[in-house]
Amino acid sequence: MRLDVHNHIADALVLPRIVQLDRNLYAAVFFLMKLMPAQDILARAKASGRLRPGGYVLETTSGTFGLALAMIGALEQYRVVLTSDPAIDATFARRLADLGARVDIVAEPAAIGGYQRARLDRMAVLEKELPEPFIPNQYDNPDNPRSYARAAAVLSEALGPIDVLVGTVGSGGSMCGTGAALREASPSLEVVGVDTFGSVLFGQPDQKRVLRGLGNSLMPKNLDHAAFSEVHWIDANEAFAATRALHRRHALFMGPTSGAAYRVARHRAEQNRDAKVVVLFADEGHRYQDTVYDDAWLRAQHLDRPLVEAPIAVDDPLQAIPPWSVLRWNRRTLAEVAAK
Amino acid sequence: MLPADPAAIERTEAPAALARGEARATAHHGEILQGVFRHRDAWSPALVTLPCPVLHSRAIFLLDHSGRVTVTPAGKTKAHRAAVQTLAKAGDPRLGGTLVIECEVAEGWGLGSSTCDVTAAIRAVAGALAIELPSSVIARDAVRAELASDSVMFGAEVVLFAHRDGWVIEPLGAHLPAMTVLGFNCDPTGSGVDTLSFPPIAYPPDELEHLESLRVALRRAVAVQDPWSIGQVATASARLHQRYLPKPGLERIFALAEALGALGVQVAHSGTVAGVLFDRADPRREAKLERLRAELETFSWTFNVGS
Repeated sequence: MRLDVHNHIADALVLPRIVQLDRNLYAAVFFLMKLMPAQDILARAKASGRLRPGGYVLETTSGTFGLALAMIGALEQYRVVLTSDPAIDATFARRLADLGARVDIVAEPAAIGGYQRARLDRMAVLEKELPEPFIPNQYDNPDNPRSYARAAAVLSEALGPIDVLVGTVGSGGSMCGTGAALREASPSLEVVGVDTFGSVLFGQPDQKRVLRGLGNSLMPKNLDHAAFSEVHWIDANEAFAATRALHRRHALFMGPTSGAAYRVARHRAEQNRDAKVVVLFADEGHRYQDTVYDDAWLRAQHLDRPLVEAPIAVDDPLQAIPPWSVLRWNRRTLAEVAAK
Repeated sequence: MLPADPAAIERTEAPAALARGEARATAHHGEILQGVFRHRDAWSPALVTLPCPVLHSRAIFLLDHSGRVTVTPAGKTKAHRAAVQTLAKAGDPRLGGTLVIECEVAEGWGLGSSTCDVTAAIRAVAGALAIELPSSVIARDAVRAELASDSVMFGAEVVLFAHRDGWVIEPLGAHLPAMTVLGFNCDPTGSGVDTLSFPPIAYPPDELEHLESLRVALRRAVAVQDPWSIGQVATASARLHQRYLPKPGLERIFALAEALGALGVQVAHSGTVAGVLFDRADPRREAKLERLRAELETFSWTFNVGS
């Protein structure tokens, strides 16, 4: 076994560790999964001349993609500017600022479109003000899903043929990218997406979401609906409980999207013990110590309710109801599913 | 125009030329990927070369009835053997000829100088005989003329070539995406290496898996003409092989390439040259090339490949 000396921490942490959770269930555990698309997108921009050291990187995100950009910005000397809404938690904002990123918080929601619209409007202003900023555009940039071929290679090399891939969906990058790359070696791969109620990604109407880090109010171009065999909607109560179970049972200290994915992946692995199931765990749990990992907080939010045994099967996204529903998507487009 | 050949001068009668064939072959600049790859249930050592359109071998063949083939310069024994074999296809023992090779490709640098000579010779003889030889046949014949070969006979076509047996494992595409290569010799004071003397590498299973995923990545990269991914594959192959035939100073080149925003680094796996790849569409390309030349402090050359 040869040990690598890495040039920097992003290189050391970008690829997942593969951990066996059960007889037929394996987790791809990431420190920060979004480092993969962030690294690829920024490196491609540098190699194509669109970004140089000292150049500006501008993106609307208050989540893990922003953290990934900020880390690479610190390592490569880019000036990272992130537009965010006030919901960003102070600890996280300080971490971003410590990496040298500028967090531009929009003060008020737009009259139409709320904070999402306000952030995009602010982006448009900054794009003109800053000198030739590079905009990664994680929701529409095809280099996002493309970057996950590296994760797929690691999974294939470690596990051989894979039957089921489970993970949460936000931009569509990780699931569509990893899924497409894995399908080259395993054409019968089932891709199972995990969404939450109130997310428009798989045909529900836009509503306030309690469970963050997955789902979306806007439809990203990177979401290829026809890649998915099955879609689950899961609520915060189920996801948070699963996050805690993942920690207690496997000592995996992950964020709530990992819990959501774990809940669904365990269910799929138990349904068919002959299928090899891989689940993506995208980020660690540090940001959630005062929330998901705090029983008092869960109690106060009424997020300590009893769990269900299994999801309700629906054949229309509009029928999906909390706490947990599943739809056999069967690799159809959104239009095909909605028409049914 | 023939240089003086002492043997020819000693003959009392110079043979009359029946026909003339002239051909070129383009050298390569090492590889994008090299390793051992799966085909059906078998594994073959194979490679994907980076063509170097600015370096050629040129061969002229004057066909005659002398019954023997002479070659100039006399040291071009492999090209000579290839010419003899090609001539044998005509099935006429009276046939012979004079083969002249002009080769501007340095030997021992891993640029495929011998395959270039051999390919040019085969094409020139075929031209004189007025027969058509497809690249796959030239590939097979070229390997019979020497132990190892490369895919120069395929020109700009990107192929995964089993170079010890002389056949294409997998065609990947008509050409590479548009790139600029800054090449240099990692060991300029050395006299080169005997590129045919290396035994095949026995890669451990984890490296074989890694090579397969690089092959998949390269297939994808050529299909969509993505220069960035080509660079990634080339760099990964170069890094992997540092374990087997380390090139002096290559770690520094990897770091420079990354710092400058190049696409990646490719190497002649069985030789001493290396190249830093740049996107031809990169508006900062010239500035990056200048920076790299300044940092290298060694003689370098620049050429374009691909669409």
